Amino acid sequence: MATTNVTSEVIGTVWKVEKAKGDAVEEGDLIMILESMKMEIPVEAPVTGTLSEIKVAPDDSVEEDQILCLIES
Amino acid sequence: MSFDDMVEDLKAREAHARAMGGPDRLARREAQGLLNARSRIEALIDPDSWVETGLLAVSSMMREDRDRTPADGKVAGFAKVGGRMVGIASNDFTVKGASSSATNMKKIGHVKRVATERGFPMVFFGESSGARMPDNMGAKGMGSNLGQDPQQYVRTRQTPWASAVLGQCYGSSAWYTCLSDFVVMRKGAIMAVASPGLASFAIGQEVEAEDLGGWKLHSEISGLIDRVVESDEEAIAEIKRFLSYMPSHCNEPPPRAPVPAGSDEGSSRILDILPESRKRAYDVRKIIACLADLDSFFEFKPKFGRTAVTGLARMDGRTVGFIASNPMGKAGALDVAGCEKATRFTVMCDSFNIPLVLLVDTPGFVIGIEGEKQKAPGKIMNFMQALQMCTVPKLSIIMRKSYGQAYLNMGGGRNSDDVALWPTAEVSFMDAGFATEIVTWGQQASDEHKQEIRAGMEKDSSAYGLAEIYAAQAVIDPSQTRRYLIQQLEIHQMRLSGDVGAHRMAAWPTTF
Repeated sequence: MATTNVTSEVIGTVWKVEKAKGDAVEEGDLIMILESMKMEIPVEAPVTGTLSEIKVAPDDSVEEDQILCLIES
Repeated sequence: MSFDDMVEDLKAREAHARAMGGPDRLARREAQGLLNARSRIEALIDPDSWVETGLLAVSSMMREDRDRTPADGKVAGFAKVGGRMVGIASNDFTVKGASSSATNMKKIGHVKRVATERGFPMVFFGESSGARMPDNMGAKGMGSNLGQDPQQYVRTRQTPWASAVLGQCYGSSAWYTCLSDFVVMRKGAIMAVASPGLASFAIGQEVEAEDLGGWKLHSEISGLIDRVVESDEEAIAEIKRFLSYMPSHCNEPPPRAPVPAGSDEGSSRILDILPESRKRAYDVRKIIACLADLDSFFEFKPKFGRTAVTGLARMDGRTVGFIASNPMGKAGALDVAGCEKATRFTVMCDSFNIPLVLLVDTPGFVIGIEGEKQKAPGKIMNFMQALQMCTVPKLSIIMRKSYGQAYLNMGGGRNSDDVALWPTAEVSFMDAGFATEIVTWGQQASDEHKQEIRAGMEKDSSAYGLAEIYAAQAVIDPSQTRRYLIQQLEIHQMRLSGDVGAHRMAAWPTTF
């Protein structure tokens, strides 16, 4: 089992979290949407696996490269 | 001495030179998973193609170093890579830290001169400690060694240069890296003006090597390298890949490659990637992957200046350079780093006859104090001037937003040879709401008055508005973009000059 960190590309806030801990995800699936500079920034699964942890919640501020969630694959 | 003895003597001298810094030092490197100066060359080149120059060169300054400086610490020569000639300078850190000396600088100078005058690329394997000491100490040391080649650090882009940062790179390895068109760095290697030790002694700055010149610094902040890899072998594979896109010299077009099966299938996915909401971002690299020949996109500086994406690719087998704004980075608003990255890439492509494809979805340039401190207006003009100086074909696709000066920088108007729009394109000087606030700034304007002003600002910003006045040449179905670009690349081939541009930026700097 390998753990993949899913990180934020931008500074912004969490707008919506579309998946829950334990959900199975395919590569490219939408996990959450951030808001930055009035744009919606999708966060997609970089690998297929299971979401083992979600580290942020709606309205949280996030920094660039901050870990948002973990995927076990 | 008999002829046989003479030949044996020659063989013994050659064997001594090829033994580099000796078995113990070589074994220590191998145990660390590192290739050495000669095995790096072997991994790069076509079998049996190596022609060495200066194998028997040794230190000329210090008599006691004569037998301790095989090949004088820098292995130099010529070989074929993918059937084409290249010049190679491979630093041998096991011999006096590959420090620069009077002799080995002449070797490197010779290979560079031959490569430049005879028209083939240079490859540098960087790992060197800087000027050799005590050779270079004192007035006589300086006067005898450094500065004897007035063209040593001139970069005029007659032929492509590729560098790999594979160990400690101070002095010449750092300088040649920064003058190169393409740089790959192995994690764990360091590139800096001077070592952490010197920083500690000389200025009292205690620093970790990685902080001073590690891969994260150079791939994300300085932007001095293009790609990061885990091993020497991967670095060499990346150099081979870079060279495969490039012509041998500036007076020929890049080589053409076969088109992989399935290359036309990506186009149908574009409308699945492009969000229906204009507020939703997407990764423009996915669009590039749909447009380019299958798996041909080779990105430069993926972690630096992420508001822009740059990279080489092929379309219908021809090398092209993509410059795209990326909505995933600051909504696609181009920042200082993004401008630097786009400028450097534009200069390289123009110098080596590589057509440019610009993909546009940008609300403009990033504004604010931070950018101004970093000379944002100057960076924007460097990029703009580079684009206007270009003589290779430039094709622009406006995918969604194209606003203000960034419209021009990304090829709008006559800044491209052809501008095509997707029906989703919107073009204006700025957002109508911002424009209203600016013209009513400082006034006690009522909401009604602002509404009136805004109505005047909300002009047609659609793709068709631009196409109707022929400020763009076509509005196209996004799924037809690959076909359109391939047609335009054929139309705009530089037939009158044998697909060779004017190279008006060949002597521009390599960093901005």
